[in-house]
Amino acid sequence: MAKGLVLLSVVVASVFISQGSTSENQRLFNNAVIRVQHLHQLAAKMITDFEESLLPEERRQLSKIFPLSFCNSDSIEAPTGKDETQKSSVLKLLHISYRLIESWEYPSRILGNPNQITEKLADLKVGISVLIKGCLDGQPNMDDNESLPLPFEDFYQTLGDGNLRKSFRLLACFKKDMHKVETYLRVANCRRSLDSNCTL
Amino acid sequence: MRWFDSGTMPLLTLSVFFILLSPADGHIHPSIHPSIHPSIHPSSSPPGRPRVISCRSPEKETFTCWWEPGDNGSLPTTYALYYRLEGSEAVYECPDYKTAGENSCFFSKNDTSLWVNYNISVVATNALGRSVSEPVEVDVVYIVQPNTPESVMVSVLEDDHGPYLRVSWDKPRSADTRSGWITLVYQLRVKQVKEENWEEYDAGMQKYYNVFSLHSGKEYMVQVRCKPDHGFWSEWTTPAYIQMPDFRPRERSIWIMMTVFAAFILLIFAWTMNVKRSSVKHFLLPPVPGPKIRGFDQQLLKSGKSEEMFNALVIQGFPPTTNYEDLLVEYLEVYDDEKQELVLNGKNLPKGSLKSKSTSSDNDSGRGSCDSRTLLMEKCAEGAEESGTEQELSQFGESSWASSDSGEGRDNPASPGQEDGKVQTWPPVFSSPQPHHFQQQQPGGTRASYHSVPEISCRSPPVHSSCGQQNHFSKPDFYQYTQMHSMDSIEHKHVAQVPQSQSAEYVEVQTVNPENVLLLRPLSNPESHDPELSDFAGEDYSKVRDVTSDNVLLLQRDLSGPQYVGDYCQDQSGQVDPCFMQLQQEEQTCKPNVHLHLPSPMLQDGMRLAGNGYVDSTMMMS
Repeated sequence: MAKGLVLLSVVVASVFISQGSTSENQRLFNNAVIRVQHLHQLAAKMITDFEESLLPEERRQLSKIFPLSFCNSDSIEAPTGKDETQKSSVLKLLHISYRLIESWEYPSRILGNPNQITEKLADLKVGISVLIKGCLDGQPNMDDNESLPLPFEDFYQTLGDGNLRKSFRLLACFKKDMHKVETYLRVANCRRSLDSNCTL
Repeated sequence: MRWFDSGTMPLLTLSVFFILLSPADGHIHPSIHPSIHPSIHPSSSPPGRPRVISCRSPEKETFTCWWEPGDNGSLPTTYALYYRLEGSEAVYECPDYKTAGENSCFFSKNDTSLWVNYNISVVATNALGRSVSEPVEVDVVYIVQPNTPESVMVSVLEDDHGPYLRVSWDKPRSADTRSGWITLVYQLRVKQVKEENWEEYDAGMQKYYNVFSLHSGKEYMVQVRCKPDHGFWSEWTTPAYIQMPDFRPRERSIWIMMTVFAAFILLIFAWTMNVKRSSVKHFLLPPVPGPKIRGFDQQLLKSGKSEEMFNALVIQGFPPTTNYEDLLVEYLEVYDDEKQELVLNGKNLPKGSLKSKSTSSDNDSGRGSCDSRTLLMEKCAEGAEESGTEQELSQFGESSWASSDSGEGRDNPASPGQEDGKVQTWPPVFSSPQPHHFQQQQPGGTRASYHSVPEISCRSPPVHSSCGQQNHFSKPDFYQYTQMHSMDSIEHKHVAQVPQSQSAEYVEVQTVNPENVLLLRPLSNPESHDPELSDFAGEDYSKVRDVTSDNVLLLQRDLSGPQYVGDYCQDQSGQVDPCFMQLQQEEQTCKPNVHLHLPSPMLQDGMRLAGNGYVDSTMMMS
């Protein structure tokens, strides 16, 4: 009887604690989503400004060139559709997000400092790692994604592009990758929790 | 199916044409060969370029592209859509031309990949050729345009402030917001049916909204639309109509209450003002003080006795009224020039101040510098010119002057001047206790003339008789008159020698002869003078009473008071008549053009202005 009572209390306590940690985790998730959303909006604004600053001839020249957004992150395996994304686990989504963010840490320096993109990316990376740890819940990390080599860091620099094309490519890839991470994190967030605007 | 009639019609037409033409010349023109020129119709041409209008994805899972056909060249044209994914060279054709309708291509879920650029182009082909549209780059993620929201419902609700509208809707069915795949934001707009301007409201991610501040009794229409976080706005929903009920806005009752309250306050205010009428009037319109003149008695004016009133205004003693005649003093300017001319200037000065001929004056009352005791020496010394009198002066002067100097112990600048032969008018005079002040013993010694003290010495010894101790001048042989002018133009004049008496003696002018010579006679009874007079060796002064028409000074003896006033008497002829006046009262008999100047030593302390004489007070000061 006493043992049962102790066990019950432990379970209840663990539930409460997990709820507490869950809520904390939830807060972190929301925070990560907000941050990546901000980064995506920033990337969209940057490329819009860039396109507006182009001369008409340059704009035509850009649109004719194909492929235009051949990105570094293409080497990272990521779901490209909703079904794929739904099928991936939260942990996998977190891992992919982490790698994507990590791949942009170095090239983001080219994007310039006014928006402090590199710092924001670093912060987001830390946040995602915390979420991963929370998701693992003490389980050993089975995923060997982290052991994969990082994408080629100087990918964008070594392409044989003209300056214009190089800049456009950089901005387009950055925007795309940020949107990927945002989508993955949202889906993961909604799957993990019942609230956080997912059922709206 | 599309190709079947592409080539047959032109062939038929061509063949008919050939049939018609052949009997004419019997052979076929080679340029019109159908193989070379397939289009028979004159207006046929290869198709114009089609154009991809847009590609849209409603839920970020599938998408559709629409194109616009170009000119078909009057021939049946077929269109095909080809696409290529980035990073791959494989070209695919559109999988579904039907689902989305005419001139469209539908990409299903399996054919849709996100975050991948599609390069899409449309090819138009007809019998004569084909044309390719401009390629379009598409990334499905960025072409999301959701369907319109569904189930828009509007209802009227009531609360304390009045009725309001509550609008609610649903998400479009195709959008998967539950899994977080798409995030939608909503917007609604409201307007009166008869109005033109819409009122837009942003509802965020919620699916309801409350609209306030609508007019009562009016009909409104409401529409809703939505947008993904990165994408395009959907279309507006079909309008929902709602009729606002009639109600009276509560604000009106408040206005009524406020009006009543204000009226009440106003009433109280008006009553208070009415009660305190006078004080308010006093406050707003303060009474203007009337003019007030001191001593002005209105009662007197009202009573009609204006004279009394005006008399009341008169202040005794103002303006100071003096006997102006008394103030008019003339002074004599005596020049001692070689020609032995007497220059008499008459000036009227209210205070009897001396005015030197040279118009140089010092700081005192304006008298000639020679008047001023302090300045006398220098000025007299400067201006003095002695002509031929130096000897005489020196003789007499030194003795007397020196004695005077020594005896006086005063600062007698005249004495050095004396030696220079300058006219020293004052010093001997100033040296009051000089008994032999006017001693003019030396025959022929002329004394320097002072402004004030005209020493008359006989010039020539032979004249002594006249200047002798007899108190009269028998004959003014040659009289010289010392100049009593001020410093600058002091001329030493030969003065008629005064009677040679040991004690200084005053002479009185008896008459002035036509040659402008003063006839002097010594005064009598010097002992009868006051002690002060005795300073002057008992001489007394006489007052010029009048000057006759032939330039005769009429002196008036006035022996009453200790006050001495020195005046210069000058008449117009320029004759100098140094006479010392003893004035007792303010009355004067001197004519206005006669001015006598009194040397200061003869004056007592506290000298005062005589009626007709000018007293130089500065001399006493020194």
